[in-house]
Amino acid sequence: MMKKFILNLVLILSCFAFINFNHAVLAKVYVDIDSPTFRPMPIAIADFNNRAPGTGKPADRGSAVAEAVRQDLAITGIFNILNKKSFLEAGTAVDKINPSDWLPLGADYLLKGEVVRNDQEIVAHGYLFDVSRGEIIFARKYRATADQSKALSRAIAVDIMRALVNDEGDFNTQIAFVPKNGLKSDIHSIGYDGTGLKAVTGHKSILMAPRWSPDGRLLAFTSFKRGRPEIYIRNLKSGAEKKVAAFEGINLCGAFSPDSRKLLLTLSRDGNNEIYSLDIDSLSLRRLTNNYAIDVSPSWSPDGKKIAFVSNRSGSPQIYTMAADGSNVKRITYEGGYNSSPVWSPRGDELAYEGQVGGRYQIFVIPAEGGSARQLTSDSANNESPSWSPSGRQIAYVSRRPSQSRLMIMNANGSSPRQVYETRQKLVMSAWSPRLK
Amino acid sequence: MKNDMTRKTLVVVLILSVLVFAGCASKKSVVTGDTGKDQGVTAETDQRGAQEDQARADAEKEALNQSVDLEKMAQVKSPVSDINFDFDSSAIRPDARAILERNADYFTKNRASAIVIEGHCDEQGTAEYNMALGERRAQETKKYLVNLGVNESLMKTVSFGEENPLDPASTEEAWAKNRRAHFVVNP
Repeated sequence: MMKKFILNLVLILSCFAFINFNHAVLAKVYVDIDSPTFRPMPIAIADFNNRAPGTGKPADRGSAVAEAVRQDLAITGIFNILNKKSFLEAGTAVDKINPSDWLPLGADYLLKGEVVRNDQEIVAHGYLFDVSRGEIIFARKYRATADQSKALSRAIAVDIMRALVNDEGDFNTQIAFVPKNGLKSDIHSIGYDGTGLKAVTGHKSILMAPRWSPDGRLLAFTSFKRGRPEIYIRNLKSGAEKKVAAFEGINLCGAFSPDSRKLLLTLSRDGNNEIYSLDIDSLSLRRLTNNYAIDVSPSWSPDGKKIAFVSNRSGSPQIYTMAADGSNVKRITYEGGYNSSPVWSPRGDELAYEGQVGGRYQIFVIPAEGGSARQLTSDSANNESPSWSPSGRQIAYVSRRPSQSRLMIMNANGSSPRQVYETRQKLVMSAWSPRLK
Repeated sequence: MKNDMTRKTLVVVLILSVLVFAGCASKKSVVTGDTGKDQGVTAETDQRGAQEDQARADAEKEALNQSVDLEKMAQVKSPVSDINFDFDSSAIRPDARAILERNADYFTKNRASAIVIEGHCDEQGTAEYNMALGERRAQETKKYLVNLGVNESLMKTVSFGEENPLDPASTEEAWAKNRRAHFVVNP
């Protein structure tokens, strides 16, 4: 199923080689979504027209194509999808815009299109407009097999992201997490759009700390499969698992290096628990900390130069950074009595973490060089285990109440929290995948 | 019947404990999927009964899978008492000292092949930090027992962090019970 999806996606992408440049593509419009005054961009997505060759009434695929684009853009958190019932336009050609039809609705952008073939294969043209300028941003042609209409819509959504925010968005990513099932748990993953929940491992044990390799090939984690905490790396394609650390004491999984070749670990094999770097091919170890304190939860900076971690060397758990060789240890958090689970933003400028405030855990971000922290969540749940999306615009986290757990995502500034998955099981340890091919 | 059950448990514990210690030393990678091949243990066809054979077969199967049933392990009753800890602390409390003295006495009077000291935490705080804290509790407990004359080479530590609470409730009372060191004694 996944394979087929990928194949078809490739088919769609290969289509770009034949893009119809009916219109010159204008200079790109990048929207500054990091601005504190940023508001979700109002976009109108009209149902695509249906135009079949030959005679007879064409089947309606156009409205489904448009609806899937709406759904894809809605969960990015940066669009305000305007209600199609308010649309006024009539009689304007599909590749033209009449701004006076759209400006009154408050639309900044407009997507129109048509499906021109819809038998075994769907061929669609998509047109994105800048409403206030009355100009076209792109005109592209898309092609997919008939059962892959959603993938076609996804390709349109990706193009809209590229045009407006200069990256392909967080589509085609998954979030790994652990739904606790007593001592018989397993790591699961779910698409960030809330679809495709599945078990990744089959250990039926205590499973902890899932970590994706940045190249998307591997998932490292800690498992009690053999009765004690040991670290495994799973090849996500073949399903093969390799045990990479089984020393005496704890073997706790940290993060992969940016080149996916090293894995940070917490081991207690030398007596006290310390942070190590493991070369995943040679399995050679390098010890990075040397301190009679608890040092855990290491996370690599995107440039590979620094490591954030948790230590109680000051008396309570706080966030620290150090150089990748273990030198230059610097304390980052000073407020609050329990700060943990640091994760580096993809851009490298911030750390997200969970901190205790008022008896509950909430998600914070703080400049990676230190400074003042910003609290992103403040509801009555315990909000833990933050994880950045590949674009850096969103953060996933688990939100727990006594008999209900949710996997949530929010914009990186804390706005628009939305639910990906809800269960009565206790959810822990979310980890957002890189973009998966 | 009850006797049979005890024997069954004993066999399982024995084999599991071998696995646990094998795990401490070896660095083999895991082979998944293989089950059921004859390997290692040869059956003594004495009066112990079919039930025990079944238990051994199950344990062998598990050995081949290199997988341990934590629920079964957790049900095995310890001959000695747990000790408890204060929040976010691995210091041996005064009330725990008396218990450890009794436990040390038991360990020296009753031959044990292995003692696994499990460190446990309450659910407060992060799971990863609690894994480290649990390990530290187990290590501090081990040190204390060594000072009381228990053979160091018999003792291994395992941290369960906050993953296996005695009482799953989110109350101060449950948390106090869950912050503990537990002793698995293999005869």
